[in-house]
Amino acid sequence: MGQPIAVGFFGVVAIWFAITVFRTSSMVRSALALLAVMVALGGIFLALEAEFLGVLQLMMMASEMTIMAIFMVMYMMDPGGLGQMEMTHQKRSAGLVGALGALGGVTLAVFVAWGGGATVPTPTGQLRLLGLEIMGRSMLIFETAGVTILVAMIAATAVAIARWR
Amino acid sequence: MTLTLCLLVGAVLFGIGLYGAFSQTNLVMIMMGVEVMLGAAMLNLVAFWRFLHPQAFSGQMFVLIVMTVMALEAAVGFGLATARFRAKGSVEMEEAAELKG
Amino acid sequence: MTALLFVLLLLIGAYVVTVIERWAVTGRIDPVAPLAGALALLATESIVPRRPDRTLFDAAPVLMLISAVLAAAVLPLTSSGIVVDLATGGLFVNAALVYIMVALVMAGWGADGAYAMVGGWSFLGQLIAYSMLIVMPIAAVAMRAQSLSTVAIVQSQASVWNVITQPLGFVLFVLAAMGASFLPPFDLPNATALAMGVAGEYTGVRLAVFRLGRLVLVVTLATAITVFFLGGWLGPLLPGWVWTPVKTLVVAATLLAGGRYVPRLRQEHLLQWSWKLGIPLALTNIAWVGVTLLAVR
Repeated sequence: MGQPIAVGFFGVVAIWFAITVFRTSSMVRSALALLAVMVALGGIFLALEAEFLGVLQLMMMASEMTIMAIFMVMYMMDPGGLGQMEMTHQKRSAGLVGALGALGGVTLAVFVAWGGGATVPTPTGQLRLLGLEIMGRSMLIFETAGVTILVAMIAATAVAIARWR
Repeated sequence: MTLTLCLLVGAVLFGIGLYGAFSQTNLVMIMMGVEVMLGAAMLNLVAFWRFLHPQAFSGQMFVLIVMTVMALEAAVGFGLATARFRAKGSVEMEEAAELKG
Repeated sequence: MTALLFVLLLLIGAYVVTVIERWAVTGRIDPVAPLAGALALLATESIVPRRPDRTLFDAAPVLMLISAVLAAAVLPLTSSGIVVDLATGGLFVNAALVYIMVALVMAGWGADGAYAMVGGWSFLGQLIAYSMLIVMPIAAVAMRAQSLSTVAIVQSQASVWNVITQPLGFVLFVLAAMGASFLPPFDLPNATALAMGVAGEYTGVRLAVFRLGRLVLVVTLATAITVFFLGGWLGPLLPGWVWTPVKTLVVAATLLAGGRYVPRLRQEHLLQWSWKLGIPLALTNIAWVGVTLLAVR
């Protein structure tokens, strides 16, 4: 019984902070509100007994969103949000697209008979099985992802260098 | 029932992220909209893994890959934003019309 | 272990660490000074800067204290003396420690002051340097224990401690722990050169909570070093619940006293040393641990 309550609570928190991300005019608060969305998602993962994914989500998103905060302070014109500038365009069509996307997802969620309710392994067992999965069946995906990440890191650094010697 | 609840939350988050990605003019804010959408997708993945196939760990593998790609796409996006800022002095996407028409 | 005992132990540990820090700075052991200092701080007037971001300004010290306490909650005193034995305990310690950085960025930005902001963002630069050096030695230690649970990590050191089999990981983890708790020589966020940096805009109760958070962070990191590398509660004569505090206090004294003899590193040098030397060494450590584990079988 606790699981739907926890999921519902964290879900409401995530939605509220996601709305705050795009409504607040202070840039650092916007980035920290996005962090709060990710923390709420991490909480839902932990409530769904995916312990490793929940802890990993909490850890990675904290550093990622703080780095996003510093980039916002660097590149945006009014990081403190004290100027009350209008930062949006085509609000009505954007709202329409967003509402359509949400409606499609909601329809699928409610009107399809998904089934479910199976037993989950213990967290220690989950860690072990995930490790076996990474090193066994998904090894090719893992290696390809690793090389792609390295290439992307080098490319992003190369793009951002100011002056070639 | 919990599965439907998770999918509902994921759908609403996806809609909010889509609205944000379409309505914001600044590159960093657009990227934040994309991050919210990816977060909603990850939530759906974990919910499907937990309630439909808890024995198949390729679901968790998928979530790991999506999490890594989120971080990566943010990094590459910020590299592009740095280059653009150095060239033009701002990252407003309304002014990025050089290739238009 | 009950939550009350856990909080009591943390407070006693923070008190003793304050005495040790005062000894490291001035050379005298003064057991009453922390109590007098805390009471004086609480009686000070609480000044708020002119136009702060109130939510961030108020929340930052509390977040720092909460994340340090959460990180300590998964570290064991004895094999049953742990608040919650998570199956992913080693990763959870790292996850809670990252929120220290979030708290410092909030403190730096929320205070609406130039020096505080510089201190806060420079801690973000330090995180880029030390965060890999915290995770990789934990991964190597977990490889030996074949589990991420902190209790299992201590129990895997029953034959020989990890500091002897993984010395490189130990050195890197100690350095990264000094960076994570912004002790000298990595104390740019808090430095007198920056008008006390992040802590400079706080007075009264909030400064007391900030300082308490920092002390609990030092205790947590010292306990983490003990659990991961120095064998936790394992030891010959005394019972387990005496060994852990003794080792923790020795490690905390070394952390506090050792860094004061080294000049403060500049940010760019710290990042260079960490990424060009530290991370290849950490990867070598993981490879070395893997080779030795496979060879022992």
